[in-house]
Amino acid sequence: MYQILSKGKPKHLCLLIISFLLFSVTFAQQGSLQVKGKVSDESGQPLANVTVLVKGGRSAVVTGGDGGFTISVPDAKAKLMISYVGFQSQELSVGSGTLDIKLSPIGGKLNEVVVVGYGTQKRREVTSAVTTVTAEQFNKGNISDVAQLLQGKVAGLSIAKPGGDPNAGFSIRLRGLSTLGASTSPLVVVDGQVGVDINTIDPNDIQSIDVLKDAASAAIYGTRGSAGVIIVTTKRGSRGGAPTIAYNGTTTAESPNKFTPHMDAAQYKAAGGADLKSNTDWNKAITRTAISQTHNLSLSGGGNGTSYTASVNYRDEQGVAIRTGFKQLNGHFGLTQKALKDKLVFTLDLSSTKRNAQIGWNDAFKYATIFNPTAPIHTKDPGGDLTGGGYFEQNFVDYANPVAILEQNTNSRVGKRNNFNGSATYEIIKGLKFSVRYAQENVGTYNWAYLPKQSFYVRSFLGVSGVARNGYAWKRDDESFNQLYENTLSYETKIHKLGVSAIGGYSYQDFQNNGFAVQAGNFLTDASQEDFSASLDFANGKATSASYKNGSKLVAFFGRLNLNYDDIAFLSASLRREGSTQFGANHKWGMFPAVSAGLDISKITELSNVNSLKLRASYGVTGALPSGSYYSLFLYGPTGAAGNLFYYNGNYISAYGPTQNANPDLKWERKAEFDAGLDFALFNNRLTGTFDYYNRNTSDLIFNVTVPVPPFPTDKQYRNIGTLKSSGVELLLGYDILKGGAFTWNTSVNFSSYNVTLASLNKDLAGSYVGASNLGTPGQEQTQITRAVEGQPIGLLWGPIYRGVDANGKYQFDDGKGKLTASTDYKAKMGNGLPKFEFGWGNTFHYNNFDLNFFLRGAIGHDLINTYRAFYENPTVKNSYNVVNSKYYNPKITDGQIFSSLFVEKASYAKLDNATLGYTFPLKRDGTIKSVRAYITGQNLFTITGYTGVDPEVRYDDPGNPFGNPPTAANTLAPGIDRRETWVRTRSFTLGLNLKF
Amino acid sequence: MNYSSISKYALLGLLVFASCTKLDENAVLYDKVSGSNFNKTDAELVASLGSAYTTLLGTFGNADNIMPMQEVTADDIVVPTRGADWGDGGHWVRLKTHTYNADDPRPLNTWNFLFKGVNTCNRLVALFTPLGTDISKKYISELQALRAIYYYWLLDLFGNVPISTDFSNTTPPANNTRQQVYDFVEKELLANAPNLQKTGPNDESTYGRVNFYTAYACLAKLYLNAKVYTGTAQWDKAIAACDTVINSGKYALATNYNDNFKTSNKGSLEFIWVIPYDGIKATGFTYPLITLHMAQQPVYNIGLQPWNGFASVQEFYQSFIDPAQNPGPQGTVVGLDNKGTPTTGTLDKRLSNFIVGPQYLADGVTPLTDDAADAGDPDGKPIHFTPFINELAPNAWRQSGARIGKWEFAKGNTGNLSNQYAIFRFADILLTKAEAQAWKTSNWNDPVSLAIVNQIRTQHGGVTPYPTMTSDLFLAERAREMFAEATRRQDLIRFGLYNGAFRFHSPDAADNLGPGGINHLNVFPIPNTQINANKNLKQNPGYN
Repeated sequence: MYQILSKGKPKHLCLLIISFLLFSVTFAQQGSLQVKGKVSDESGQPLANVTVLVKGGRSAVVTGGDGGFTISVPDAKAKLMISYVGFQSQELSVGSGTLDIKLSPIGGKLNEVVVVGYGTQKRREVTSAVTTVTAEQFNKGNISDVAQLLQGKVAGLSIAKPGGDPNAGFSIRLRGLSTLGASTSPLVVVDGQVGVDINTIDPNDIQSIDVLKDAASAAIYGTRGSAGVIIVTTKRGSRGGAPTIAYNGTTTAESPNKFTPHMDAAQYKAAGGADLKSNTDWNKAITRTAISQTHNLSLSGGGNGTSYTASVNYRDEQGVAIRTGFKQLNGHFGLTQKALKDKLVFTLDLSSTKRNAQIGWNDAFKYATIFNPTAPIHTKDPGGDLTGGGYFEQNFVDYANPVAILEQNTNSRVGKRNNFNGSATYEIIKGLKFSVRYAQENVGTYNWAYLPKQSFYVRSFLGVSGVARNGYAWKRDDESFNQLYENTLSYETKIHKLGVSAIGGYSYQDFQNNGFAVQAGNFLTDASQEDFSASLDFANGKATSASYKNGSKLVAFFGRLNLNYDDIAFLSASLRREGSTQFGANHKWGMFPAVSAGLDISKITELSNVNSLKLRASYGVTGALPSGSYYSLFLYGPTGAAGNLFYYNGNYISAYGPTQNANPDLKWERKAEFDAGLDFALFNNRLTGTFDYYNRNTSDLIFNVTVPVPPFPTDKQYRNIGTLKSSGVELLLGYDILKGGAFTWNTSVNFSSYNVTLASLNKDLAGSYVGASNLGTPGQEQTQITRAVEGQPIGLLWGPIYRGVDANGKYQFDDGKGKLTASTDYKAKMGNGLPKFEFGWGNTFHYNNFDLNFFLRGAIGHDLINTYRAFYENPTVKNSYNVVNSKYYNPKITDGQIFSSLFVEKASYAKLDNATLGYTFPLKRDGTIKSVRAYITGQNLFTITGYTGVDPEVRYDDPGNPFGNPPTAANTLAPGIDRRETWVRTRSFTLGLNLKF
Repeated sequence: MNYSSISKYALLGLLVFASCTKLDENAVLYDKVSGSNFNKTDAELVASLGSAYTTLLGTFGNADNIMPMQEVTADDIVVPTRGADWGDGGHWVRLKTHTYNADDPRPLNTWNFLFKGVNTCNRLVALFTPLGTDISKKYISELQALRAIYYYWLLDLFGNVPISTDFSNTTPPANNTRQQVYDFVEKELLANAPNLQKTGPNDESTYGRVNFYTAYACLAKLYLNAKVYTGTAQWDKAIAACDTVINSGKYALATNYNDNFKTSNKGSLEFIWVIPYDGIKATGFTYPLITLHMAQQPVYNIGLQPWNGFASVQEFYQSFIDPAQNPGPQGTVVGLDNKGTPTTGTLDKRLSNFIVGPQYLADGVTPLTDDAADAGDPDGKPIHFTPFINELAPNAWRQSGARIGKWEFAKGNTGNLSNQYAIFRFADILLTKAEAQAWKTSNWNDPVSLAIVNQIRTQHGGVTPYPTMTSDLFLAERAREMFAEATRRQDLIRFGLYNGAFRFHSPDAADNLGPGGINHLNVFPIPNTQINANKNLKQNPGYN
């Protein structure tokens, strides 16, 4: 352990940074008597980062990962102060020998600090549904996305990413579906910066994440709170603590463990498929064992008045598909500086991320499933080598050699993200603080794709092939910028037994997005692929381009009052009035109130074995914005692209028409939610739990609905369409099964149920359905497969009901009157895409220096439309494609493929998401290295499900394609579709090392 | 901290509040044109006028709208399911077997396209009306005539459609009867025609736009089918409308049939109203894509891979080569068996409607092959389009079916042709007159009729004149001339043959549920998504 002397800070900081960079640290040691000791909790678990200081002196150290510390004291009479957040401080004399110090928790978890909107509270004071997940509880292993840290950990927060695409994001849903507005994912607040991307911060740099689940807790964020709020708090050095240098590194091997079932070469030949005399496992050919590594190096500490953290994160991730993955460098610097006798506090956070990604092509998985298994990968035969590129290709629609797709074509993305977040808080008089924050988020995404001259692949998002267009290139640049300015004035005081805290504030945020895209082909040589000036398409008019710029503004005033009567009764009330440019002239402003109260029953009556029992209830209103700007305005634009000109008097000229229907009445989506909860700790805090019941009503849902033409100028309009009603329960239980000995075992379960119904539609739409989605290309762009119906749960899968095949192998469907028919006219509910409930179950074991935890999670009651089967599980496709043959495959079918409930499957699952075995090495107390822990994590170790597709994860929405032509938005009313773009399911093993210096 | 410094903070805060509470969205409208600041200049008004016409680009020249509604449901064109290609949930098969339903995509696309056209005309009439200038009055007549033509197609395809004319009326419209729609189309065309220009086919000022003769061509077609639409025949009116076009002297039958369809077909004297397609500037004419085999992409150096879909059927092809149906000079033609074995048949010049027989690379010599040829296909890997199609679904051979070669496919086309597409063509008007005359006189050998038919036969087909004619012979001649020009369903209905048996189509069950007591299948179902969006709309009888 090192002693920190409060000398000149800048010099010291400088020294630390230099040391950090040189990766070798030396510190001076001072004092006359060395005292060693170890701090642990009641159960004997070592406590790290406990502050140990010499009473009346200037020396302070923090404990290492093993709880050990060494400190220099003047003499044996010196006294040490041991303090740690959430534990009772201890004062003790040094005496002689090694100190073994046990700290007792104060009020257990109830003293945890919970981060809420514009402030913090003690857990005991919280009167709404807020869940805190700390770094220790995060998911472990190969974590490349912040959302992954929370997956399965928070009852009511669903997080899913089907398939193993390293460049795909997670969908996050609160309590099923709470809004149809701009974002169905929660609002993310990082260190007070509102509305940023959840991956602004590297997973390694996060201290804790608080999830505001009910409307009462989220209402202070007004218009963006309806999908919940995730508040991320980054790690900070402890003030006065020793500098900590930590290194976390992982290496991961990830491999596919589930492909779409299809015929192998022998089966395909036996079924009558064309025999091309080879035997290729296309899935194997396009996949690999992907090796990824991450390195995180952080430095944190502080002197008097200063605390800082600096970290560098490097990730090199391979995808299981060949030539995919990304490399990312992220840096974060956080500084807190106090001045003017600690009355003024500055904070500054800077983060910067650059990611170079090879996206690859999702179609490769589709074609690996359907490409002829008897075809060779490579050929020189001109009958198969259709482009001269040496790959075997065949002329079918929506069909290409998957190996060639990944090897020949490039699809890359460079993402840059820079955040600035600074604040200053001044304590004007005791308890009264004025605070100013300014923050910026800058995001740039640059895409580049190229299909070379010998590439046969047609159905990329570019819609053309390299061979037909003589090489084809696409560049696209998107930039977004938002800035946040906030003032708050807060006051905190205590009047007798009544604690009062209040805050009021003003918030301004503006957003701007712009970008452009260019596509062109006809290159003399592939070598000039990145040089558009070499493309002939500009000269011959075949090049295309697009560009855009849009923006919006948000303005809000807000306030909150918290009362705490003697830690027995609690009351909180807040109000936010917020305005946005995005609404109709008469509906620019919305009002979002909330009130909540709690009562700790254990403080009033003595209950045996009850440590705390808090009853709480809340009611609040949150809002949601529309997904884009200008929806209230009537807009004109060119009628289609450049290929849609008007022949006028001998020339082709622009034609302009309506591009958007006006809706001057467009107004806030409004979510009103009642939440009642119970927090308890029983049996000496051994059993802890939280139970919540909620009931909510989201009215004036904002959705882009189909409207009739005439009378409307165009066929879509953003409207307030109706009301969602939902209710559910959430339960979180933790129990220390074994406690206090060498072997400890803690288990925790969470459970959440959902029930979301489209309760009503407005009178124009009464009795209708909205949000229908279709089976897709080729040819089934208008085959509806889902819809949302008034009075029915969200997530309806809709279509003809399959009843078997007749003697001739023709499909038989229900005719709605109990008879069989070949007609698909009658359609009905085929299933529901959203689960009835979800659960997580975690276990943590410690035995001496070993730790083991495993985590299971699952979703029960949802169905999925297996689109692989819907397109390819039919013997008649064998003339063109390989055949999907799940357990439902029926070789007797003679009909062409027709969509029906045959392709809807129950998809309930439980999976062993994560298991980690770790070992903390016993180290000498005074070594340079403070702690070493090594671990191995397995992810996705097994899945129990009846679903035959690659991944039974819930599809919370139907993802759009922002790079499509035209781009399409995600459809939140269409959960439950397993698209053919899904990557295969993977399993991974990670070796990790944590070092602290 | 004293009072004054607190008030300083308060003042600072207030200043910020005051400056940042304006929420006018127009201030952040960077690249959009809002309705309130458009149509301020002549150029902008002309661009608005253009939107009434650009809608047309998405239609006739491709597989999405009217063409498959009028042709795939009839006996001349088929979209067979070729293994996994063109299965598309069975809707192409349903068109052919007359089992189309209200969820099927072609009726939906067509409805959307036609009503978009109607609505655009309504909007522009409302835009131009207050201007009161001579040119705006001309535009209004033109737009009202164009709207009537959109309604003519709606009348033909859907029957009982809502008539909507007032853009300011925001109530979703309810159905009208087919008779009302018929009356509306007639009235509007007659009322607006006098204000339209009597320009000829090559006058740039109205090229691609509705002029006087366009209105009369549409009237001729309307009257020809009046008996189907209303139960009352209008042969005299049909003849008179045809005569208005014919007697203008501005139009003439092209010397060569192909001159109407070749890449550089602009200037044909048969063009009464065209869609001025261009491969880059005015796209949507995608016949190379919908009909050619994928392997033909390099043959024509097309910018996209073709889809191997639309084809004709052997009986229809036979009506060209069979001397009994089509007397004329005999020679070697592709045969009707499953290998397309060369045989002797009539050499009608209009066989250029088809791409049949062996196919070659761009050099015209090297046989084009398809290694993925069906195992059962007797002529194997060399690509050989046979008029014979083994089955409609699910496994029609990839090389079966004569392809639609009527419009020339230029080398290096983008997949979108630059040929002009005639919506109303002079030959059609001539045949309309011939037919109306024959119906009127109940005599298929009426000299007027026979003369017209034989003029077309000799000039366009290079085949022998009919010495005498029957209704069957007339219809066969009309079919040869008008193949793929989106009239065949209408023609079969008029002749009472649409519900009968033809290749891949068994006779429809008889009913009289349709408008005017006709078979309900003779109009299409109103798309369910439209009924869902518009509460005032009722489904056509016989559909659910």
